[in-house]
Amino acid sequence: MSVQPYPAETHPVDAHPVENLRHRERTNRLGLWLFILSDSFVFGALLFTRFYLLGNNRPELIQWLGLVVTVVLLASSFFMNRAEVQMSLGNRQGFLRNTLVTIVLGSLFLIGVVGVEWQVAHFGPADGAQGAIFYTMTGFHAFHVFTGVIFLSLVYRNAKKGLYSAEHHWPVEAAAVYWHFVDLVWIFFYPALYLIGTAL
Amino acid sequence: MKTGILSIGLVRGLLFQAAGFLAGVAVVTVIRLAFGMGFSAEPAIVLGAFFSAIGFMIGVGAFSGWFANALGKPAIPPEEVEEPSGFKRYLGVSYDHKVIGVQYGMLTIAALFLGGSFALIFRSELVAPGMQLIGLQQFNTLIGLHGMVAIVGMLLGGAALGNFLVPLLIGAKDMAFPRLNAFAFWLAVPAVVLVLSSMAAGGFDTGWTAYPPLSIFANMGMQLFFAGVVVFGWSSVLGALNIVATVLRMRAPGMSLFRMPIFVWGSLATSIIAMTATQLIGLSFQLVMFERLFGMGFFNPANGGNPILFQHLFWFYSHPAVYIFVLPGFAVISELLPVFARKPLFGYRWVAMSSLGIALVGFLVWAHHMFTSGMEEYLRVPFMYTTLLVAVPTGVKFFSWTGTLWEGKIRFTVPMLFVLGAMNVFLLGGLTGPILGTIPTDLHLHDSYFVVGHFHNTMFGGFVFPFIAAVHYWFPKITGRKMSDLLGRITFFILLPSFWIQTLGQMQVGLLGMRRRVADYDTLPEFQTTHIFITVAGFLVGLAFVIFMYNVIRSAMKGEVAVGNVWESRSPEWELLPNPAPKHNYPQPLVVTGDPYDYSLTDTEYVELVPVAGATD
Amino acid sequence: MHPNGRDHKAGGLQRGVMVLVVLAVLTAIEYFAATMEWPVLLLWIIALGKAGTVLWFFMHIGKLFLGEEEETGS
Repeated sequence: MSVQPYPAETHPVDAHPVENLRHRERTNRLGLWLFILSDSFVFGALLFTRFYLLGNNRPELIQWLGLVVTVVLLASSFFMNRAEVQMSLGNRQGFLRNTLVTIVLGSLFLIGVVGVEWQVAHFGPADGAQGAIFYTMTGFHAFHVFTGVIFLSLVYRNAKKGLYSAEHHWPVEAAAVYWHFVDLVWIFFYPALYLIGTAL
Repeated sequence: MKTGILSIGLVRGLLFQAAGFLAGVAVVTVIRLAFGMGFSAEPAIVLGAFFSAIGFMIGVGAFSGWFANALGKPAIPPEEVEEPSGFKRYLGVSYDHKVIGVQYGMLTIAALFLGGSFALIFRSELVAPGMQLIGLQQFNTLIGLHGMVAIVGMLLGGAALGNFLVPLLIGAKDMAFPRLNAFAFWLAVPAVVLVLSSMAAGGFDTGWTAYPPLSIFANMGMQLFFAGVVVFGWSSVLGALNIVATVLRMRAPGMSLFRMPIFVWGSLATSIIAMTATQLIGLSFQLVMFERLFGMGFFNPANGGNPILFQHLFWFYSHPAVYIFVLPGFAVISELLPVFARKPLFGYRWVAMSSLGIALVGFLVWAHHMFTSGMEEYLRVPFMYTTLLVAVPTGVKFFSWTGTLWEGKIRFTVPMLFVLGAMNVFLLGGLTGPILGTIPTDLHLHDSYFVVGHFHNTMFGGFVFPFIAAVHYWFPKITGRKMSDLLGRITFFILLPSFWIQTLGQMQVGLLGMRRRVADYDTLPEFQTTHIFITVAGFLVGLAFVIFMYNVIRSAMKGEVAVGNVWESRSPEWELLPNPAPKHNYPQPLVVTGDPYDYSLTDTEYVELVPVAGATD
Repeated sequence: MHPNGRDHKAGGLQRGVMVLVVLAVLTAIEYFAATMEWPVLLLWIIALGKAGTVLWFFMHIGKLFLGEEEETGS
């Protein structure tokens, strides 16, 4: 007697669930996005905290510095994307160059925020709500930039060893998506800290 | 070569945890000394705590696959890793979801036992007015730890059920991310150690909710409590993420979402909550940690902060958390009733959707914990409405269960007893919810023992009873043996009436004005008599649990061998697999050929194995 | 839009440049709007616009929802 399977409904049920690389990559992709979804709750809660405690006020910060680090981070996203495109075109040298630029720009961002902003700010972490919020928001974000830089460095080294191809380079995609996520958070943190409300 | 005791992952992990702790203390001390600041215990202990968790993970071997990846070396695929045989397998890293499920289960039972024991200590103190047995700080620490350890136990229990069952129920050979699975489990162990170690650092007097400003000024034990919970939160998030990915990506052919066994829906809804909301308790605790360590003004008004902010952040997780506790339990009830009533699950799609509905509405009710907090008044009524609304999807489940039982051929097996007990107990718990969810009554009952009665009711009905039912039910699939039927019945018939006495006593004394979290109370006869009843009942609940534990351990070693489809279930793990379930589960892919709950149709199957190539048609 | 076709790959570098330009322009408007104290709502809209651009063109969020058959390259 032949087995009549139920007609598969119109939903992502794989017709051939035998583990193949494509299936694995799509599963990995879902896992990464679920992680990003989860992590966004942290940053969302920090945004809530900022508006709950400061309302229509914002910390008094050096505007040009904020703009500069923002530009640096956005540019790093551009080079990250470029690197990923190069990898999918099979251009390993192009990938390595652009990844290196991304790492450098990410490091410059960290220097700009932790190295400069934190030192020159006229308030410290213990100076009331604005101190608490500014250092925590930028600190959590900087931590993610830092781990992103580490992730990218590992991917850089592994790419140099020839571990990735144009067809299969999941770790590259993962590092890139993580990096863009870090940029995404700053897209909201920058106006929240620098632009919205009256300076205290 | 690792030999002897060091070959046991758990042992190595604990040793490395101690080493990591010392390393963290050393790092902070050296840095402080280099900057001309003196030794300070609290920052040293905090960094020590986080380093200790990392140390544990290195020691147990949970990082090995990723270390290899980072170094560009190929890691052994999880399915091909050789694992030790026998009980030792459970004491180290395993990538097999069934092993991990059992590991979670063992930790669950340990946590429930420990958390329950803490309760018995302070309940003994509460038998009479005056302080006879323990001091005030000890009392406060014990109630706080009872709460958190019990919560941890329930989170672990949901993870145990989800991890063991989901791949089996959807026809997969393992979870989507086996290494992440092992990692998430093992994170829970150092986390629990940290939480318990708060007792060695002076304890804490805030209760498990750790409200600032008090938590800002509490003893150093508060920091270890915070660190442990934050680490445990990561375990929760990663484990839940794995379940969501598994359910969405690893189902057998033909198994659309509406043809999954109902338990998977419950696990999916639970995991969506756990994966997202947990971040907020982690953040809220970290912010208090920062306030203590760096003087950051989040919650202390003297420092520009707002204590209500903490409550919003905290309860945004901690209310949905109760649905993390009960949704797996409800799913167990839905899964088992058809088997023991020999009838289809009534309203399968509604039940499936109700799990998601509870998860969604559960995110919208948190401020009902804050009606008396002094938050803006205009927030109260909307939260009352949403709170009452969550009874609707819950009601859907109750009506489904009633419909499933109606005119069924009921088999009063031990799992069924616990399922019926769960429904019975949760019904009262659920009915006492609206009393608390309604602002006028809550203003009187907030922080009273009535609340304690309500939530123990819902937790036992929604988690404890179903968990025991699930262990009895799936025990043959896990171990190949049956649990003792007699001991199971004894457990049930001690647990159910004792729990009723306990919970009614708590509610009564709360209505009379007994506050919660107080170590002592006025000498009023109406209080004291009931307190005696509550304590004695609590000990009987503990006795029932100990009998259950004994049953589990003894049956695993010497229980009657269970052959075949012991419960005559249509579910794939019973239809198609022997006891215990083999490694990698199904030998061939399985395919869905019928509905999961057509118990009345005797000649249909739900799932079949794909025939081997070359078989005749 | 097929994020994974061969032509798509080839145009990838150029697309990246376009996205950078869009992000730069939006950031400039955002800074200007803040300095001129235009309504805050505009800042949120710009932020959402930047976010959407990054999510779609850089993070390829569309790939998450593709069916198995639609994938050719990565």
